[in-house]
Amino acid sequence: MKKCIAASYVCNVHSLKHLPGIGFKKFIFLLVILFLGVIVSAQNKLHVTGVVTNDNGTPLADCSVTVKGNAAGTKTDSKGMFSMDVPDSKSVLVISYVGYQTLEIPVGKTTSFAIKLTSGNASLADVVVVGYGTQKRTSITAAVATINGDEIASQPVADLSNSLGGRATGIIFTQGSGEPGYDGSNILIRGISTTGNAQPLVIVDGIPRNFSQLDPNSIASISILKDAAAVAPYGMGGANGVILITTKKGKTGAPTLTYNAYVGWQNPTRLTKFVNAYQFATLFNAADDNEGAPHAYSDYALQKYKDHSAPDLYPDHNVLKELITPNTIITNHNLEFSGGAERIKYYAGIGFLSQNGMWGPTKYKRYNLTANIEADATKTTKVNVSLNGRVEDRRFPGVSSGSIFYQAFRTPPNAPLTFSNGLPGSYIGRSAYGNIFGSGYTQTVGYTLLNQISIEQQLPFVKGLSVKALVSYDFNPFNPTDPGNPFAPITTFNRTWLTPILYYNYDSATNSYPQSGNDGPAKPQYSESYYQSQAFTYQAYLNYHNNFGKSEVTGLIVLEARNTKSSVFGAGRVNYSVNVPELNNGSSNSTDISNYGYSAESKQKSAVYRVTYGYAGKYLVEASGRYDGNYYFAPNHRFGFFPAFAAGWRLSEEGFIKNKFPWITNLKIRGSYGESGALAGSPFQYLSSYTLYGNASVLNGTTTQGLYENSEANTNITWERAKKTDVGIESNFWNGLLTVEADYFYEKRTDMLFPPTVTVPLEYGVALAQVNSGAMSNRGFELSVGSTRHFSKDLTVSLKTNFTFARNKLLQVFETDATFKNPNRRKTGRPLGTQFGYKAIGYFTQDDFNPDGTLKAGIPTQAFSTTLHPGDIKYADVSSPGGGKPDGMITPDDIVPIGHPATPEIIYGIIPSVAYKGFDLSLLFQGASSRDFYMSVFAFDNSSSAIIDALDYWTPTHPNAVYPRITTQPTPNNTQTSSWWIRNGAYFRLKTGELGYTLPITVIRSIKIQSARFYLSGQNLLTWSKIKNFDPEISSSTGQYYPQQKVISIGLNVTF
Amino acid sequence: MNRIQIKIIGSFLIIILLMGSSSCKKSLDETLDITPHDRLTDASVWTDAGTADVFLNDIYGQLPDGNNWYDPFDNWSDNSICGFGWPLSRTDAQQVNYTPSTLAFWTGLPFDWGTNYNNIRKTNLFIAKVTASTLTDEYKKKRLAEVKFLRAYFYHLLWMSYGGVPIITEPLSVATQGDSIFHARNTFDETFNFIQTDLAAIASDLPVTGDPGRATKGAALALKGWCELFAHKYADAATTNKQIIDELGNGQTYNLFSDYGTLFMPENNANNEGIFYRQYVPRVKGGRNEGYNASTFTKGGAETSWGGVNPTQELVDDYEMDNGLPISDPASGYDPQKPYVHRETRFYESIVYDGSFWYNDTIYTRQGIGSANEIDLSDHNDATQTGYYIRKRCNDKITLGSDNWDGASGGQNYYYFRYAEVLLNYAEAQNETVGPDLSVYDAIDKVRARVQLPALTPGLSQDAMRTAIRRERRVELAFEDKRWWDLIRWNIAHINLNQQLHGISITVGSGGTLIYAPVTVPGGDRKFNASKNYLFPIPQSALDQNKKLTQNPGY
Repeated sequence: MKKCIAASYVCNVHSLKHLPGIGFKKFIFLLVILFLGVIVSAQNKLHVTGVVTNDNGTPLADCSVTVKGNAAGTKTDSKGMFSMDVPDSKSVLVISYVGYQTLEIPVGKTTSFAIKLTSGNASLADVVVVGYGTQKRTSITAAVATINGDEIASQPVADLSNSLGGRATGIIFTQGSGEPGYDGSNILIRGISTTGNAQPLVIVDGIPRNFSQLDPNSIASISILKDAAAVAPYGMGGANGVILITTKKGKTGAPTLTYNAYVGWQNPTRLTKFVNAYQFATLFNAADDNEGAPHAYSDYALQKYKDHSAPDLYPDHNVLKELITPNTIITNHNLEFSGGAERIKYYAGIGFLSQNGMWGPTKYKRYNLTANIEADATKTTKVNVSLNGRVEDRRFPGVSSGSIFYQAFRTPPNAPLTFSNGLPGSYIGRSAYGNIFGSGYTQTVGYTLLNQISIEQQLPFVKGLSVKALVSYDFNPFNPTDPGNPFAPITTFNRTWLTPILYYNYDSATNSYPQSGNDGPAKPQYSESYYQSQAFTYQAYLNYHNNFGKSEVTGLIVLEARNTKSSVFGAGRVNYSVNVPELNNGSSNSTDISNYGYSAESKQKSAVYRVTYGYAGKYLVEASGRYDGNYYFAPNHRFGFFPAFAAGWRLSEEGFIKNKFPWITNLKIRGSYGESGALAGSPFQYLSSYTLYGNASVLNGTTTQGLYENSEANTNITWERAKKTDVGIESNFWNGLLTVEADYFYEKRTDMLFPPTVTVPLEYGVALAQVNSGAMSNRGFELSVGSTRHFSKDLTVSLKTNFTFARNKLLQVFETDATFKNPNRRKTGRPLGTQFGYKAIGYFTQDDFNPDGTLKAGIPTQAFSTTLHPGDIKYADVSSPGGGKPDGMITPDDIVPIGHPATPEIIYGIIPSVAYKGFDLSLLFQGASSRDFYMSVFAFDNSSSAIIDALDYWTPTHPNAVYPRITTQPTPNNTQTSSWWIRNGAYFRLKTGELGYTLPITVIRSIKIQSARFYLSGQNLLTWSKIKNFDPEISSSTGQYYPQQKVISIGLNVTF
Repeated sequence: MNRIQIKIIGSFLIIILLMGSSSCKKSLDETLDITPHDRLTDASVWTDAGTADVFLNDIYGQLPDGNNWYDPFDNWSDNSICGFGWPLSRTDAQQVNYTPSTLAFWTGLPFDWGTNYNNIRKTNLFIAKVTASTLTDEYKKKRLAEVKFLRAYFYHLLWMSYGGVPIITEPLSVATQGDSIFHARNTFDETFNFIQTDLAAIASDLPVTGDPGRATKGAALALKGWCELFAHKYADAATTNKQIIDELGNGQTYNLFSDYGTLFMPENNANNEGIFYRQYVPRVKGGRNEGYNASTFTKGGAETSWGGVNPTQELVDDYEMDNGLPISDPASGYDPQKPYVHRETRFYESIVYDGSFWYNDTIYTRQGIGSANEIDLSDHNDATQTGYYIRKRCNDKITLGSDNWDGASGGQNYYYFRYAEVLLNYAEAQNETVGPDLSVYDAIDKVRARVQLPALTPGLSQDAMRTAIRRERRVELAFEDKRWWDLIRWNIAHINLNQQLHGISITVGSGGTLIYAPVTVPGGDRKFNASKNYLFPIPQSALDQNKKLTQNPGY
């Protein structure tokens, strides 16, 4: 492990030497400039010290102490002490601490302060991380939600993206899989506003980076930037919202060492239940009866399935349950070391996570290292160096989990999953058991190292002016196969060893178990691939912050350049004669050897600005934006300008409120409007081009390369444009007893990318590049209501709730007349992802048929299957071609909307917590609704097994069944996409629960540690939903996917 | 100090200039230039013969991939039934319940409208770009002929499937052609004439023998002769096929390969019977025919194939006795209770039946002995629906099972046209044109002689000869995906495909004797609507996107 980190770091340094010419010169130049800055020393500076305590005189550690007008500052140490330099005697100290009212103290001639904070509202004093800087919560005019790092650190989840859901407004998410290493959530900020890539931009410590596998313990805060004012600094990257992650920094004070650990037990939230062998055979015979075919299973066989007397000839397996191991372990250890002296602060953390999968071969291990040093190189110069590295090590069976679940769902209970002696059997030449335990392995290891150094210099000759330069070199910050996806796992080095999957048979004559064949390849195969990506980011900041009387002015200009490079290389061999997986050991026959590789690069250049003006802390205006250029497009279409404006009014600062309604702690209304962009499609669509590929055709006995025409170029292609409007209110009554924050938002996305396929005939023969042509709107509202009450010094109760609703509408898309001219089928005007199908109105009954088996006159014909029977699904005849009256035939003209999109429109969270003496209890209930999911899980479909629900099938005496009459293969009539299979995907779950106990101070002192807390925590603990046999966040309409996990864990948090 | 301050401000301004806010927009654009390495441009493709050839390789790759179909086209005909219920032949074709919106040829078979027009565009683009290029005339002549052959091949797939189709001979461009990119359908005859004329024009530009897998003169003439036959232009068809026989046949370039059974095996890929075919390289670009379509279970109960092709009793009954008489002839010596003795060799080389050996096992389809391959009358697994499996075109000398269906380990050619078909095409065309003259006997008897069958009885009437040719053709070309088109062009699909197809129920009687009884089988209930099913429906998406298209009658 250690070796791995070292190796990649060497690589990193090596690469730095090979920075592209201009970039490296620029880098050196910046360093020189900043070095010049460093040697500038300040005049007139005052050194002040102080101690901060609460009402009771207890020292408050970690309070923020800043000079008004300058975000930078210091924090109190564990004894409540601080010490810092202030520019001059006119400076005003701002002391803030979570849960206390912020205090402002003019420095004057005093150099030593004893400061007492009174408890008050939590959020008022917060400093919020926003794009390219921080802002005070009170003066912010944009819609920004924040999540504190502490809230997520102890949750027993591996992937950070799973920690955000339900904690803040604006986050629409779905966790589609529980597979270790690939179990991240799909996160959308305020839903979907585009038919293109809808993923938000993710920024870690100022740089676009993958965040989902950071050590949760190393996160200081997460900001969700939602409206135009918040995302404007990200220009072409901002339209889908931005997630800002800030990692921890050191705090001034004595060194502290903190150890966090938990161990948890994982089980599927819901494990799909299947029929048993007797039920399966009976069901199949019933299907044969319906088709007039002889029974597949004799009475003798049925009896054997029932009595289990011949398990190898008449098996009865609970396939999925037998394949998985219950109570698999997830464990996490983290050690943090931090502290700080007068001019230097440091933070270092190492983390180790190990997560076992539902079966032995699946394992995920992660090693994280975070290191950060902040130093005052001079009294006016701050240097910050941070390193953030990790190794992600995933191991799986040779067969993918998708195939494993496909096979597990397919294998009927009466197939020999395994024999009584443990040997694996087979079904249709596949071994569900062997797929997992005998297929070889896949291993992907990701190495990531994120490095950055920044130097900030106060410019003493203009008060409040500072410059900052930041250079970052990231090794593997993104996955080259999915570069635009900030959630894609990093997979630097992959190896796959596929072996023959032997399976056996039972020979009753000799009572022996001969090997009868094999799944997988006839001989072992091995392949390796290397993915590598690098990103160079350069930022130069000019920061200004000053007060003029009651006016407060800030200004920011950032110039940014970013280049990335990536490459992929892979090789493989088949037909191994030896069982040692090394490339060199494979067959040397040329047709058994393969390799591939490609590379890509990207460039971006931008200028960011933000100006804010506040008068008396009441009237706030802000203008921000970005001039952004991207390599995606043709020259002259590369640069765009994305401005935004915001204004806020703090009514609570007005005399008429302050004096008359003292219980109004804070009341602010704010609004914003602006434009941002999105890179929705793929790059280079402006070029006419051809793609080369291998193994095109075999000519003259050998395989050849092929070349095909890419889609027709669009030289005018450019970014998507988003116009966002947001109106919000923030309020706080009785010092935090009630807080209410509400936002209404509206976005119109235009220039959305669509291939104009339907405008040319199908005979055109080649795809068209996307054109900027579509439009879509997205609107909704967010509400968060919270209350915190300190009943006594021992009892605090709080309740936080949040609610997000977002509904989009397609305004302009390419549609064929068949759908556009039929009001029922028209996509335009409906939400993206609206589900269409036939409207099922029940089952046919005997009464619908003539004696000869034909449908009675007057009943609309439906010709999906040639013959219909009682118990087949009946569809509604609603229209004729072009959208008219019913025409007596069920045709595609009768398709109607049958369900909401699968992405929830409503997401909410309810977070009650209680702290009593040493105990703390915090719960996160989370729900989603206005979501429909299409389920098409049919018994015997493609020779598959049957889920337990399939037993509820139609018979003349059981007409109100879930499933139609049973057939040996589901009939085309009954598998038509219809409202019959739409399921309400709403759910409500206890997503997280945590019960902690902090040892009393007396005990702590006796064992010579600073603090210790034990906790019991859980994830996905309880779920309520209409979908019963699957987790409601099901991501596959066939149900064949690695299910979400429930985790129960115990943890420990000790500070030495 | 002041100097330092000035330096700092000055430096910051320099950074600003450096980092891109320079006044010249063009140069700023240029700083973002990237030339992608993973694609080529017009300039590099059409200036170099080698690169243009790579484009042509891709077009060859689009030809029908008949060794990778899990539900081959004979399953649509009366030759066979798919052993499992979900593919197109069972869900859509069996009861002809496909519609313009549902017919999903893109799932496997090569008759998809959009796919063929994609391929036609590739050919049109090649023709336009190479014609306009500075490549040598020699190159142009050779390759343009090949590409025009391929274009004709794709058009003939559309033409057989849909009737007259829009004839598009240049790459469409909405930018330069505007509304003229919308083409109406040409007629059946116009489409035929286009194919026939193009093939006639390029045949002599093609080499007599070329690289295996590439188009040759023989390929062009064989395609032309077949299309003429399909269009009922019997005189033309007789002439064209005669031209092949006279100029290229009789051992000059083509001849019948000595052994019918192993003709289709990889060791005999280099035979002189193949006229136009697709080649395979195992694992790299191999075939999965055995894993998809051969006998389902082999030794130890392992499922080594999906059993995708189950021959029908109707086909089995068309194999003659080894004395050359059809089983319906009382003199043939056929015994329905000993149905598999003294049949002609192609039966044994094409069909796996109860008691025959395949791969590593004797295959028993009889009932009541617990055989995994027992005829699947309840349609509950992949075992045969009919009591038969295919042997023809399947190689049991490779590892069957997942290695074949996942690993594409098959290596034998897939034949689009072989010399035996040319002989049969000629015999049929000549019989229709002038009646059963000696040249008709000569052609069909060559095909029979290769499989040790006696020559046809002299003096057959035209009708009797037609019947003989049709039976010979069905048997000789079984499982080569020809049967459907024969039923269509003979106008008998509404008869042969409007019936219940059969399998064979074999039970063990007293004393161990086997009792054979034809049975109706799952998937064998066929429908065909003569008023519309002779043509496939044009996809609804094509109609939606091109108002000038008209649907075929009845859909």
